[in-house]
Amino acid sequence: MGSRRMSGLNRREFMANAAGSVTWAGCSRTIARKPLAQRERLVSILRQTTYGQDLYGELRRLLAAHHLNIRGKRVLLKPNLVEFEPDAPIHTHPLLVHAALEAFRALGAEARIAEGPGHRRNTLDLAEAAGYFETIPRFEEIFTDLNLDRVAEVRLASKHSRLRSIYLAETALACDLLVSLPKMKTHHWVGATLSMKNLFGTVSGGVYGWPKNILHWAGIPECIADLYQALPRHFAIVDGIVGMQGNGPIQGTAKQAGVVVAGGDLAAVDATCCRIMSIDPRRIEYLRLAVGDVAEFLGSVRQVGETVERVRTRFELIPEWRGIQLS
Amino acid sequence: MEPLLACQNPDGGWPYQQGEPSWTEPTAYALMALMAKSPAHEGVGKGLRWLKATQRPDGGWPPQPAVRESSWLTSVVVLVGMAALGRDPFGRGVQWIVRQTGAETGFFNRIRQFLTGDTQGSHGGDGWPWFPGTSAWVTPTALSILALRKAARYAAFPGLRTRLDMGKAYLLAHACSDGGWNHGAARTLDRDARSYPETTGVALLALAGDGSAEVRKACIWARGQLPGCRASEAESWLRLGLLAQGQLPPDVPPSARPARTIQNAALARLAAAASRGLNPFLE
Repeated sequence: MGSRRMSGLNRREFMANAAGSVTWAGCSRTIARKPLAQRERLVSILRQTTYGQDLYGELRRLLAAHHLNIRGKRVLLKPNLVEFEPDAPIHTHPLLVHAALEAFRALGAEARIAEGPGHRRNTLDLAEAAGYFETIPRFEEIFTDLNLDRVAEVRLASKHSRLRSIYLAETALACDLLVSLPKMKTHHWVGATLSMKNLFGTVSGGVYGWPKNILHWAGIPECIADLYQALPRHFAIVDGIVGMQGNGPIQGTAKQAGVVVAGGDLAAVDATCCRIMSIDPRRIEYLRLAVGDVAEFLGSVRQVGETVERVRTRFELIPEWRGIQLS
Repeated sequence: MEPLLACQNPDGGWPYQQGEPSWTEPTAYALMALMAKSPAHEGVGKGLRWLKATQRPDGGWPPQPAVRESSWLTSVVVLVGMAALGRDPFGRGVQWIVRQTGAETGFFNRIRQFLTGDTQGSHGGDGWPWFPGTSAWVTPTALSILALRKAARYAAFPGLRTRLDMGKAYLLAHACSDGGWNHGAARTLDRDARSYPETTGVALLALAGDGSAEVRKACIWARGQLPGCRASEAESWLRLGLLAQGQLPPDVPPSARPARTIQNAALARLAAAASRGLNPFLE
């Protein structure tokens, strides 16, 4: 259930959706997104050129526009920490993560941070190398390694991939709002990696290994779409201040995009990010799988803050993906 | 009290983090570390009973009892040894490992590759996957080699020698251009990828006794990583690998890096035991 939907529905509607979407069948969990009425999907675009202290105030103002009702709720911030290399913009910047943490706390939420990297096992060491310990006070006390977390088998109702069920970290399933905090990057297998692809970190590495290769064999776009539906209580804040272009998500080069993009529907946020990156969202397969007609879906997205046109910049793509680039 | 024993769960297993449910991997490594020091301790017996009780009917072990599938953890459990596990659980575990291969070398994938011309990721030997039905990767392949080498000392399991040779060929074919190993993708879209210390260490351990030029090059890379290594897990595997190759520099001080999981604390103890001449992975 996205935060926009949390605020847009009355309490009874919200609870009906939440309860109706989770049923227990033996030890497996079936989660199906109940169709909601056509609604406007709010996406904020914030022009932000540096990782400075002003980010704290800006994120508070940004969240205020979304009227999140999360006082006393468990909010889980999920950055992208897939790997660390000095000077390479692979991971979500720690200052943005801390600013988001403080912004959610200011709204009365009980906020924590969690990640389950896909290549390396030493998650806390990655976080330390990436500057999380230095930037975020008492980081280790509020962090959960999703790869080593308790797991629950979740039956996938959307059936885009060939997986019928998947083991997910319980912390990600139990929170009231999962906040995907990805880096804005191009991706050599799916075109762009944003808030939806970032959900791969909720899949248990302790069960599937490093990398979580079962997702590759089951189809990356298909699994992204499945996870989007299996983890429906979400929000996204995309770190596009410095993104990555070219051979992402690891071997690309830095791209100064100067934006933060946020909203209560991950698909709406990702589609907006694609447009900012000069990528045609209609050509991103996981968006097509998740929302159907992407062009029609885009009609329901309302931007606030900057317009796409004013912040749009060209992310370089590897030759295999140049066909998705907007002219 | 021995710190590892203080972290043992009442059910006999060990968690990754204290207070969490038991998982197979930290249980197996904690037992190996404790058995190297005090094999008769009551906690060791409880841990072994937990392992035996969680073996699946197919002979493999799941990552934790709540997971309904055997996986790469079987190799870690087999490393605990036949004497501790018992002949039957150990033998069924070995047979499960021998049956596993990377999905990229399976019959249907070879047909697909023949039809499409896409042979990416299928070069070299036949390694082991983390999870059944997926591709082979460096760490599960290295751990499976170590498990089968241990099994070969006890009995002549069918197919074991062939799988060992194929596994070693897989590792040698998946070394990165800088000399070490990463998770198993040495090149991505024609670009060289960088090695990781932890995977290089475990691969060197699995290739103990291999005097190939690739292994000598990897030892040079690994020795260069040790002084600046930031992670306890990576440092433990580097030490274990270099010790197995007789290449650990004599002046390297004991590790002072924090072990942030129980599994990493156990690995640090295993590396320390190996530096005293007792390497439970190779004994």
